[in-house]
Order: sequence, then structure tokens, then C-alpha cells
Amino acid sequence: MADCREQETKKRGIVLYGQGLVLYVLVLSGTLLAAEGNRSERIFEAIPNPRITVTNMTGQILVRGWDKAQVHVAYSVMSPHVEVDTEVVPPNGPADKIHFATHLLDPLVSGKDQTADYSLDVPTGTCLEIRNPQGSVRIEKFQGDDASVESVGGAILVSDFTGHLFVRSIGGNIDVVRASGRVEAYSITGNLHFVSPTTSKLRGSTTSGRILFEGDFQDGGDYSLQDYSGDIEILCPSSASFELFAKTVRGKLQNEMPMTIRHRAATPISSANSLFGTHLTGKATVDLKSFSGTIRIRQR
Amino acid sequence: MEGEEGTFVPAHAAECAFCRAIVADLEALRAAAVELPLEEPSPAVWSQIRAQLVAAGAFTEKTSLWDWFRQLDLLRRPVPVATFACMVILGSLLTAPRNYPEQETTSAVTALPARTAVQSMAFVGDSAALEQVVRQLEEAFRAREGSLAPDLKATYENSLVSLDASIRECSDSLRREPGNSLAHEYLLGAYSQKVEVLSSALEFDAGR
Repeated sequence: MADCREQETKKRGIVLYGQGLVLYVLVLSGTLLAAEGNRSERIFEAIPNPRITVTNMTGQILVRGWDKAQVHVAYSVMSPHVEVDTEVVPPNGPADKIHFATHLLDPLVSGKDQTADYSLDVPTGTCLEIRNPQGSVRIEKFQGDDASVESVGGAILVSDFTGHLFVRSIGGNIDVVRASGRVEAYSITGNLHFVSPTTSKLRGSTTSGRILFEGDFQDGGDYSLQDYSGDIEILCPSSASFELFAKTVRGKLQNEMPMTIRHRAATPISSANSLFGTHLTGKATVDLKSFSGTIRIRQR
Repeated sequence: MEGEEGTFVPAHAAECAFCRAIVADLEALRAAAVELPLEEPSPAVWSQIRAQLVAAGAFTEKTSLWDWFRQLDLLRRPVPVATFACMVILGSLLTAPRNYPEQETTSAVTALPARTAVQSMAFVGDSAALEQVVRQLEEAFRAREGSLAPDLKATYENSLVSLDASIRECSDSLRREPGNSLAHEYLLGAYSQKVEVLSSALEFDAGR
């Protein structure tokens, strides 16, 4: 009798387990099918240096360079109330310009439902313009002519980029890794992080974020970093050759590099702490300014 | 026919009675038209033609400067127009050349800061107008911030708090040390950034 009950219980368990498994498989398949249904992928023939613009609201945008004269785009939207418009100029033949724009079919859609994620492969020499106010942008291994990336709250990461780079995020962090060409990075509350740049002209500014520069300075290069209340930190090798102009009104100045000091004192008209000096032969020019943040120059 | 060689029509008309009659009619009409006196069409005809051309968009009616200004329909887009106006005013305030009294300088090192010191003091004199420009933009932002997504609104708010703090501190520094060139530079920068942030928020809101 007890054996029968035990077998009955086992059977019920197996049936329940089987039903659960079937339900799980169905839900998983449904989710995958739904995700696939919102995903699109296209390839456009393009001239060698086309202009690509992406206007999005929120979501991730990933751009990579490749050596084909084609633009490959894959995008997915979170909700059926969001769609991606594609405008190709000219409509036939290799594209000079391609504009991707996310727009809401229902203006009441909000939050994550507005999300569209993009992945693009673009030709070398592309002129790139991205606006993604609430989303992040990542650019990787791309030899571009000109790239402009703007966000309001999203993080921006650019690595191995060649060309003129302009990045701005009001509240997001900006990371620029191994960039060459002219670099301009601006934020208000976000941090700026420059790693091993081989650029000869770099501008970076934030109000309350932190600025960290890790790398060497190019001969004849011009580097200008400005902060208001955040700290500025320079980590460079002992072989770095640069002329330093560092000023802060209320912050501290900490220098660990051996310098030939040209002038170090509070100026007669200001209480600013300043340091004007040369390291080695002073081939690059480094201008650092902060109002109340600390400026540190350290050897790597 | 016009543009064609003239030999075909007379040759064909000589052989074809129907076409010969048509050509004779056309010749008679042309001869009669030459004899007609030149009559000026009535003003009603001209006004009808003009009205049809205007309706077809062939040309626009001459308008006064005020009419042209009204055609821009600015009142329907007050925020971008106000933002643009504020940017123009701010740009003028920041870049307009002023006459500064030259100061005697003793060395190259002190020459530039001395001039900047006077500029700083001149700037303090303009700050009321500048503050008003920024206040107008801020009012427009406050009126519309409710339509922004919460995280976006928080980002804008944080950046404005940060910029306001820097404006306050720089203004205090300048009050204590009117010659502080770096404080002056930061104050200008903070105002410019605040205008940019507010414009970005208003532009984003308008673009939705």
C-alpha cells in the first residue's frame, strides 16, 4: 500500500517536472522568437568615406571599423512601438550618406521600451555622427575621418580610434583608449579617462568629474585638461618630455616628476597655485587647470 | 513646325489639299493678326493671371519687413527662438570688445594678467544682464522639465547643481579678488556651459 502511494507520488513528480520543462522550453522559445522578430540586419554598399549618422534615444550603440566598402548594421528594438528609419543618399548605388534614426510610434512609450541597440561595421574613412542621449556608445578599432559622439547621461568608450574625435556627455563617463588624431572630450559631471593616447592634440574638460591621463606625450603635442572641482591626475613615464603649465585656485598641486621649475609662486594678482616647469627637454606642452580640485603629476 | 526645316511643309501642302487649306487659314490668321491694333488687356485680366501665378507658387508677393518677420511664425516655436536669442546675447556679452584702460606693465610676465584683471572687473559689471539671460533659459527649462524622462531629468539637474556651485564659488572669489584671472575664466566657462546644458535640455524636449 505504502509502495503504491510512493510510486504515485513519484509519477506525479515526474509529470510535474515534465510539464515544467515543457513550459520553460516554450517560454524560452517564445522569448527568442520575439527577440529575433525585433532584430534587423542590413548591408549597404557605400563609397569609401561615407557619412553615417545615428540618432537614438536610449540603448547601446557599438561601432567598429572594417576594410570593406560596405556598411553593416544590426539593430534590435525593445518594443513594437519603436522603429528605426533608414535614409540612404543616394537611394541607388553606393551610399554617400546613411542616416539611422530611432523614433517612437507611440509618444506615450517611456523608459526601457524606448530602447534600440545598434551594432555597425563601417568603412575606413567614414565620417561618423552619433547622438544617443540616454544610452551608451562604444567605438572600437576604427580609422575614421571625423567622429562626433554626444550623449546626455550615457557612457562613451572609444578605443583604437584614428581621426578627429569629438565626444561630449553631460553626465556620463568618457573613456578614450589609444586614440590618435585630434581628441576633444567634454563633460559636466562625468569622469574623463585617457589611456595611452598617441594624439598630438588633446582637449578635455569636466566640471565635477575626475580626469585621469595615463600615457606618454607626443613630441610637439598639445594637451589641455581642465576641471573645476574634480581632481586631475597625470600618470606618465619617466621618459616623457613636456613643458608643464599647471594652475589651481583653491586646490592642491602635487608633482612627483623631476622638473626644471620656471616659476612657482602665487601670482601677484591671484591666490592660484601654479607650476610652470619643464621635464627633460619639454617637447610637448601640457596645460592643466583646476579651480578647487587637486592636480597630481606622477611617474608611472 | 518650329525648329524644323521649312521645306517639308510647303512641299507637302502642294500635294495635300487638306493641309494646303490649313496652311492657307494659318497664313490668313497671321496676316490679320499683324493688322490688329495693340490693345492693353483690362486690369482684371492681369490680376487674374497674377493671382493664379501666386497660387501656383511661381513668385511671392512683395511683403514688408514686418510681414516677412511674421511669416517666420516665431510665436509657434518660442523655446528654440528664445534659446537662440539668449545664445546671441550671451555670445555678445562674452565676446564684445570693450575699451579697457591700458595699464603700465613692468614685465612680460605681468602684462597679460594685469589686462585680464581689468576685464574681470568689467565682466562683473555685465553679470546682471548675463544672469538674466541664463535665468530666462532656466525658467523655460523648469516649465518643461516635467516632460523629460526621470533619469534624463536627474542628469540635467545634477549638471546644473554642479555648474551653479561653480558659478557661486567663482563669483565669491571674484568679489574677494577681482583680479583673479582663473576665477574669471571659470565663471565665464560655467555660464557658457550652463547655457549649453539648458539649451540641450530644451532642444531634447522640443525634439520629442
